[in-house]
Amino acid sequence: MTGPSDKMEKRAPLSSSAAHGAEAEGLTPALQAHIGRHVRAVFDEVAREPVPEHLLRLLKDLERSGDK
Amino acid sequence: MRRKVSSSLRDSLVAEIGSLRAFAVSLCGDKERADDLVQETLFKAWNHLESFKEGTNLKAWLFTILRNTYFSERRKRRREVEDADGTYAARLATHPAQHGHMDMQDFRSALTQLPDDQREALVLVGAAGFSYEEAAEISSCAVGTIKSRVNRARNRLAGILGLEHEESEAEGEGLSKTA
Repeated sequence: MTGPSDKMEKRAPLSSSAAHGAEAEGLTPALQAHIGRHVRAVFDEVAREPVPEHLLRLLKDLERSGDK
Repeated sequence: MRRKVSSSLRDSLVAEIGSLRAFAVSLCGDKERADDLVQETLFKAWNHLESFKEGTNLKAWLFTILRNTYFSERRKRRREVEDADGTYAARLATHPAQHGHMDMQDFRSALTQLPDDQREALVLVGAAGFSYEEAAEISSCAVGTIKSRVNRARNRLAGILGLEHEESEAEGEGLSKTA
């Protein structure tokens, strides 16, 4: 089964945004990276949970109704 | 008219559900409601697949649908009940951030204290893996707006969590408020 976590690796590190000229003024790159890691951790915590059964079922049902 | 959906497209939809749920939680701060949002998003996406150009960014398309669904529902709700922005923070912010130490709970709580637009920008760019350009499209605003929101979000988080102090002890911003 393909988990959403496969996709996670493609993500650019938040610190790379500093290269785009959007560094938060007053924050060091280290601190920005630190914040970035935590934002991702909060996000990934949910993103990596198993997909609820009813959502998978919904897609199957839709697929079935579309095939008639 | 519904076209036959290729199984690879279906698999791609399934693969984005995790990120969609995480984004939904970051928007509404409530897992149950987040799942409802994802369900509605999948339903809408499925019924409008013909408007999606295969080969373009499916993830961004789904995030846009989810976001629009959330905000249009919220507008409706607001008309019914005066639902201030505070409800989000009230739901998730279980306790205020501790000084200095940044464990996950502190951080989660700090995130809830950000203005909605700043949190959204930070999550899209910093966690969901979108470029500033993609995030701007999803939030239908200018790229510069996204950049400044991300910027303010980071600064604000650092402020809430008292992180400036860890790196520039000498300035002691928070402590200089001597009467």
